[in-house]
Amino acid sequence: MRQLKIGPSGIRGVVGDALTPELVVNFACAFGAYCDAGTVIVGRDTRPSSVMMRSAALTGLISSGCQVIDIGVCTTPAVSHVVRTTGASGGICVTGSHNDARWNALKFLGPDGALLNAANTEEVLDIYHASAYVRAPWSGIRRVRDGADLARGYVPAVLERLDVGAIRSRAFCVAVDYCNGAAVAAGANLIEALGCRAIPLNDDPSGEFAHPPAPSRANMRQLGALMRSVPADVGVALNVDGDRIGLVLPDGTPLSEEYALPLVARHAFVRRDGPVVTNLSTSRMVERIAAQAKRPCLRTVVGEGHVMDRALTEGAAVAGEGNGGVAVQPHARTFDALLTLGTILEIMALERCSFADLCASVPELHMRKGELAIPPDQVYRVLDGFRERHSDAETDLTDGVRFSWPDAWLHVRASNTEPLLRVIAEADTPERADELFDETIALARRAALTHGIR
Amino acid sequence: MRRSLALKISVSGVRGVVGDALTPQLVTSFGAAFGTYTGAAPILVGTDTRPSREMVHHAVVAGLLSVGCVPIDLGIVPVPVLQAHIRRSGAFGGICVTASHNPIEWNALKFFGSDGILLRPHEAAELTDLYHQGVFPRVGGTAAPIPREDTTAIAHHRRSVLAHIDVDAIRSAGIHVAVDCCNGAAYRATPEFLRELGCRVTIIHADPDSPFPHDPEPIPENMSDLREAVVRSGADVGFIQDADADRLAIADHEGVPLGEEATLAIVTRHFLRRDPGPVVVNVSTSRMLDDVCNEAGVRLHRARVGEINVVQRMLEVGSRIGGEGNGGVIAPNINPCRDSFVAMALVLEAMALSRATIGDLRGAIPQYAFIKEKVEVRPRDIPASLRRFRDLWRDADLDTTDGVKASWPDRWIQARASNTEPIIRLIAEAPTEADARVLLDRSREKIVAA
Repeated sequence: MRQLKIGPSGIRGVVGDALTPELVVNFACAFGAYCDAGTVIVGRDTRPSSVMMRSAALTGLISSGCQVIDIGVCTTPAVSHVVRTTGASGGICVTGSHNDARWNALKFLGPDGALLNAANTEEVLDIYHASAYVRAPWSGIRRVRDGADLARGYVPAVLERLDVGAIRSRAFCVAVDYCNGAAVAAGANLIEALGCRAIPLNDDPSGEFAHPPAPSRANMRQLGALMRSVPADVGVALNVDGDRIGLVLPDGTPLSEEYALPLVARHAFVRRDGPVVTNLSTSRMVERIAAQAKRPCLRTVVGEGHVMDRALTEGAAVAGEGNGGVAVQPHARTFDALLTLGTILEIMALERCSFADLCASVPELHMRKGELAIPPDQVYRVLDGFRERHSDAETDLTDGVRFSWPDAWLHVRASNTEPLLRVIAEADTPERADELFDETIALARRAALTHGIR
Repeated sequence: MRRSLALKISVSGVRGVVGDALTPQLVTSFGAAFGTYTGAAPILVGTDTRPSREMVHHAVVAGLLSVGCVPIDLGIVPVPVLQAHIRRSGAFGGICVTASHNPIEWNALKFFGSDGILLRPHEAAELTDLYHQGVFPRVGGTAAPIPREDTTAIAHHRRSVLAHIDVDAIRSAGIHVAVDCCNGAAYRATPEFLRELGCRVTIIHADPDSPFPHDPEPIPENMSDLREAVVRSGADVGFIQDADADRLAIADHEGVPLGEEATLAIVTRHFLRRDPGPVVVNVSTSRMLDDVCNEAGVRLHRARVGEINVVQRMLEVGSRIGGEGNGGVIAPNINPCRDSFVAMALVLEAMALSRATIGDLRGAIPQYAFIKEKVEVRPRDIPASLRRFRDLWRDADLDTTDGVKASWPDRWIQARASNTEPIIRLIAEAPTEADARVLLDRSREKIVAA
């Protein structure tokens, strides 16, 4: 099966399979037409295939008459920053983000620096499907401008959001795994500017991944092992394009990626009004913290585009997802791992606590995540069988099926990116989480068998 | 006037109008098709100075990378420099982003094999088949190649050309050259080249970021700026190159254009004095070449129009000098393609060794009236028009190598369908302009008659 995924998180696919340069050219032309031949910022991550993808994106944008500003290898939040500071019409991030090295993607940013929301994405898709591209004549073609200096403005902008003096006074030691990604330069600059000592890991921006890039507990074992021999105040794993963050305790124990949002949320509520916005699959930890602060916790369909769109319209205090993506408001328009790191260090500095103390302030819940391979043509029938399953629970059908009880919740949904059924259960006790999870997996497997799936 | 074709896929490459048929999608797929044809290997990529160069360049690079080729970017380079560099660098081929002498709204891809020579007609046909089949062996994300840069090509080319030239003679002659680079690909290479030859250089239109100051074809009507530069600076000779620097035209010390047909005649006459041997030109080239070859007692071969046709014939017959009458000089032992640098060096060498002015060198070769015309003909009427032309001149010596050419002892006229526009090109050469006009008028009448 050809792997291609087109939606609010952009155009994602397996390079050399469905993701061809012609497809990228077409989408760049569609985005160029959508931007009305305005200025478009282009940045890329460090994967080798991003070089090809970048050229394909540039040729499409140039042909549409866009003024392209190429800011080179940089993070997604840096592209967002440059879009906003230059008043550009949009931005393209060439990055496979958390996907493994076989994948790559284009993320489209609007003039506000956020991922296009569902409606705007639809407009780009309409242009693509109608091939309604704009072809500039030779006299309307503009030279590409080098914007590497603009990207360097990103770290100073992050520093402006932070209490740098407080952080510097603590002289933290930070172990950081860059996954050989796009955040190496910006991350090193930020950590230095914050007066911290860095213990870098995988800091060669070669795009050769030592482990899968998603900052999950399993992928932070290398960082954990390093921290057991070299002491640090906190360990962080950054996603390839610097949008997601994973955290490791000083003793080398990796935390679930669910922790980033609740850790930042409590602090955010002190500083700013508004709810927290997250998705339906994110841990209830943040809901509990919001309840303590008497703030609503709003949940959207899974995906940064949906979460940020709601966060910006609701004037949220903070937004994020359980995958380690956090957008501290009102500053970030995309998930931003370095701003999240700086904010966590700031909280540790202002509250004069250790990272372990900080984590202890987050209510402990028990989550089980898993998936079941089910072909896309069967997945909805299987899901359907769950709808009436738990009559005692509050049921939400926004994205798959989500049941919630006072002490637990269960979310069953089709993956956005793979032919999988994703199952997430969370409860106050591990037993209850296990019970919900195991029962659901067994049921889904049985349903799949009934439909003739091995 | 009817709209001419905005896209042309032929043996000379893929040409089209930017913003019209030459889309980034088309170019990307041709990049992938060429990479499929050569296999995953290093491929040289260069451009001329057209404003659309980045768009076309990135499309080529994306296509090449997608099938595992390593694009080696030479930046802005004359096309003969890129061709010479293919063999030297061990690349498997090259793509030059240039529409040569075409107006600025055009751009094009020229494809070269591992020998630095334009793809031969059967090779170009295979490439076009691969493009139309549209199935390319893409490489995955974990095997994605990374492009490289190479900035040594111009210096290497200069050294390799000058190795075949009597540099000391030219240096001691201290020739003053005015040169018009048409803001084209030679903007940097040409002054460096001429200074290496000890010339005093007056250069005009050498800004790659400015638009072409005039149509890039090096014909007399585009040479008024050069004329003025020659007069103003008191230069001994004026040179003008087209946008990709494969063709050269010459002006004398008063700035008067010698006509682009004179370049090959002057160069060939000089070359044959030191190295006599068979000469190959195309069927549309001036009969001055017949005179030059008769004088030297060597055989003249005529090939179909198109650089690749001439080069191929040169290699077959072991010819060391030849080319196309439009200013394209080819000396295969130096560089097996039309190379304006080779042409400049040989002209300067001729001036230095003979201690003659450029006017003297031109005067040593007979003059003819040489007139070109275009006649608009609907494509479906072209074969019948050519038949009427052939019947009209059936008593002459007829040659159908390329279109129809009718020759008499002292004059000839040729009619051939253009590769690029719905027209028939008429070329006549005769002792006087009135003679040539008679041939043209009678031919045109037959060609347009329905």
